[in-house]
Amino acid sequence: MKSTEKELTKGAFQVRLKELKFTLKKIRESPLSMAGLSLVILFLAIAALAPVLAPPKMYDPFMIPIPKQYVREPAPPSWENPFGTTTWQTDIYYGCIWGTIHAFRLGIFIVIPIVLIGVVIGLISGYYGGIIDEILMRITDIILAFPSLILIMALIVAFVTVELPITFTGIKRLDAAIIAIILVGWPGYARLVRSEVLRVKAEDYIEAAKASGSSDLRIIVKHIIPNTIYSLIIVASLDFGTIILTAAALSFLGLGAPLGYADWGQLIYTAMDWISRGFKYWWTYTFPGLFITLYALGWNLLGDAFRDILDPLYRRR
Amino acid sequence: MEKETLMEIKNLYINFYTYDGIVKALDGVHLKIKKGEVLGLVGETGCGKSVTSLSSLAMVISPGVIENGKIEFNIGDKTLDILNLRESDLLKIRGRFISMIFQEPRAALNPVYTVGDQISEVYFKHRKEDLIKSALAELEEEIKEASGFKRFILRYEISQYRKMLTNPKSLTLRFCLKMPILKRFQNRMKRIARKEMIELLKILRVPDPARVVDMYPHELSGGMAQRVVIAMALVCRPLLLIADEPTTNLDVTVQAQILQQVKELKKQFGSSILYVTHDLGVVAEICDRVAVMYGGNVVEVADVMELFKKPLHPYTQGLLESIPRPGKKFTSIPGTVPSLINPPPGCRFHDRCKYAMDICPKVKPALREVEREHLVACHLFYQER
Amino acid sequence: MGLREYIIRRLLLLIPILIGVVILIFAVLQIIPPEQRAVIYIRNPRQMQNIEEIIQRHGLRKSAIEQFFDWLKEVLQGNFGYSVYYQEPVLKGLLARFPATVEIVIYSAPLIILFGIWLGTISAVNRDKLPDHLSRILAILGTSLPSFFFGIILIAIFVAQLKWTTIGRVTNIGLLLKRIKAGDFTSYTGLLTIDALLNGDLPLFVDALKHLALPILVMIFIQSATIIRVMRSSMLESLSKTYIVAARAKGLSRKEVIYKHARRNALIPVVTISGLLVGGMLTGLVITETVFNFPGVGNYAATAAQHFDVAVVIAYAMFTAIIFVLANLIVDILYAYIDPRIRLG
Repeated sequence: MKSTEKELTKGAFQVRLKELKFTLKKIRESPLSMAGLSLVILFLAIAALAPVLAPPKMYDPFMIPIPKQYVREPAPPSWENPFGTTTWQTDIYYGCIWGTIHAFRLGIFIVIPIVLIGVVIGLISGYYGGIIDEILMRITDIILAFPSLILIMALIVAFVTVELPITFTGIKRLDAAIIAIILVGWPGYARLVRSEVLRVKAEDYIEAAKASGSSDLRIIVKHIIPNTIYSLIIVASLDFGTIILTAAALSFLGLGAPLGYADWGQLIYTAMDWISRGFKYWWTYTFPGLFITLYALGWNLLGDAFRDILDPLYRRR
Repeated sequence: MEKETLMEIKNLYINFYTYDGIVKALDGVHLKIKKGEVLGLVGETGCGKSVTSLSSLAMVISPGVIENGKIEFNIGDKTLDILNLRESDLLKIRGRFISMIFQEPRAALNPVYTVGDQISEVYFKHRKEDLIKSALAELEEEIKEASGFKRFILRYEISQYRKMLTNPKSLTLRFCLKMPILKRFQNRMKRIARKEMIELLKILRVPDPARVVDMYPHELSGGMAQRVVIAMALVCRPLLLIADEPTTNLDVTVQAQILQQVKELKKQFGSSILYVTHDLGVVAEICDRVAVMYGGNVVEVADVMELFKKPLHPYTQGLLESIPRPGKKFTSIPGTVPSLINPPPGCRFHDRCKYAMDICPKVKPALREVEREHLVACHLFYQER
Repeated sequence: MGLREYIIRRLLLLIPILIGVVILIFAVLQIIPPEQRAVIYIRNPRQMQNIEEIIQRHGLRKSAIEQFFDWLKEVLQGNFGYSVYYQEPVLKGLLARFPATVEIVIYSAPLIILFGIWLGTISAVNRDKLPDHLSRILAILGTSLPSFFFGIILIAIFVAQLKWTTIGRVTNIGLLLKRIKAGDFTSYTGLLTIDALLNGDLPLFVDALKHLALPILVMIFIQSATIIRVMRSSMLESLSKTYIVAARAKGLSRKEVIYKHARRNALIPVVTISGLLVGGMLTGLVITETVFNFPGVGNYAATAAQHFDVAVVIAYAMFTAIIFVLANLIVDILYAYIDPRIRLG
């Protein structure tokens, strides 16, 4: 009986391998998904080469260096400042380049915890069901009852004003933002994983595995997780883009990165002083804005491409 | 075309362009339906029978393309070239001279509209004139006894209906059709249509038709839904009714009832029926003639009795052999249905045929009449070659 | 019977969620130290002098459970605290700015829905052809372009360069306030566009509309992306159903089949999505109002958050959650109503 399980999973694995090759071929064929992939690779390259492209000058490489001259008005792009400067001569080029690393960092520090928490909770909820499921789902419902940005804002305000036990200070704004986004983000994944688990649970090979005496953990790891991965990949790659938009929005509202930090949203926040002059200081908002847009666009296109490619109807067309 | 032929499909080639390759679904199909007969179209799943039946309406499901072929349809003394008709002319044929009923009846009905709404669509599309004339007839009667305000309203209705007949594009008519109170004159037509619908449902033995008409598809049982679909197809007393496996998904008892009704309908309405099925038992019940399809071709056509007594094509023989009978050993045709992306060359059945000869993989056999009213597509019968 | 059961069940689900929302808000509150938290209970500036008294009175250093019911009592009496930044009671501030937000929502919501449905339908009907590609590009841009960046570009073009309008709700707010005070202008609804018409003041109507145009444009651009996507995919699914083939076999024209049969079914999932749309708009308002300095509740909350004004942020979170939950409830009931399969059980 164990062999039935083995045969079924081996067969499933071979099918999955063929599907993977097919998927990769489809990615190469679709112009939009190639565009997305190129954008993401481009940003990865910028992030990797940042210390070369824009050598850090301060103790914290993410703080944009300010020159000694105290002139408030932004200066246009020049040889020294390829993207120009914003208030107090903050170099926009530096901010954009290091902002790329910052963006990936945010993505990793936020998406990975969200996925982990969401997967664990979704698995437990979906697989075991019963009262655990009820309680966990009520909790996710309650968090999802709030428009996400607004709950995040409230959490950030609370975290910054809190008096931590030993130091009696609050949490730094940027860290507070990260924690807040994670706390508000995991329910979405939990729900997704849970519904996938429920779907897979009903399949026959799970029955076969149970009948042959596999333990719960083994079933979860060997059978359920591999089959829920596709949806996770789609949503996670889309989220890399969405998270950045959320973080940029928070910085724009003054709730994210601190002043002078290499954060695209923060740069736009600084640029707000100058938009009343129209195009005169165009470089203060255009460059950071383009970085955000293209970064989000890259991940969105990639996630969309995954979604389209994994849609069975489209594949057979 | 002979006088007794209703429709003839000649040399139909249909390909489906999928990502996996080009599926050569129909490979030169020939089919002739006579007036007033029930022609069975049998074959396994994937042999192309549904595609063939749908193509008689010049409809093909994407990503299919009609590559070649001709379909001729006789209405009165005119012969129409179905595949080359304009879209606007096709719309006048579909649902009116040729209608179709489907395999899963509740899926063939739109879940958000009532039964009545959907059947009356056919009335208003194809029999609007009849409805208008009936309405006018009613009005002429009523106006005789009416006076004063009532008479005024009836006069208004009469003038609108007359305009619908003579000048449907008139501005005043279009205006009245949009205005809230004014457009109520149409209720008369709707009422007449409803009455006819209920009569039709009664003929089809639908219980409590007046209530059924206001129900939604999901509230109907399988058998009732199928009767509704049949009613929809019969509104215009079509010359040809295409039935695409209409009883496959129904209970056996309901299936028997519906088959019985189909037989009666043929007598009552005089329509020809193209009955697509994979069930030879059904074929024996109600068909006059049978066409057998395999791998995108028609391989044998004969009278139903003749086919069962003396099947000529090896595939047909295999089919009849494999009908399970108590006491007989269970046999099936060796091999599997071929992939139509890379179909076997020559005769598409040759690799499963126990009589295969050298010529079979090389040349595709044409459909020929080898005995009276009995056609086969098999090299076994072309000894003169 | 199906519908009534459904509504009752839905309403019952509502209660634990509302309770949960309130509890979550309270939990977030508890994170904040008592000194700052005290503003939640303050009604007037005088009380600000004696924070310690407030802390004692409401037991802000005592157990959470005691505090909870005490706080709940205050909230139910309409006391949402005092805004340190704006120097006014929170409820008063929210109500004062509510009409401005409503004005944006009233114009953008129907436009978003209609535009989304229209574009989604065209996209599905012309799958993989030019209109489809264009609308998908639009939808992708809508989810990649940060709304505040789009707003900034619009401001740079239309406000700064072309001088077509100004930031804010009206060109000359001071003058308007003077007129209201002098009795020259009556605020019937709080919605400037409607009030201007009711007062017979056409130039003001046009002015108000011009100031609304850009924020509405931003809202439409960002929010319609989801509707377009959902409409497109549900339309594609609808078009692949058997009843569409059956409808064509009845002799109905392409247009009739698409608009009468396919779309009616395709609209059902879109109704479901409208609930999420409300959530998206609530969030979008915060950003859009801030960018255009539009005096609505979103701007109110955003500025307050920037200055860590606890009372406003907490109250705003609670309000938006309740609105969101109610909107989803209405949407669910609407969905059950228009789908006969659920309505008739």
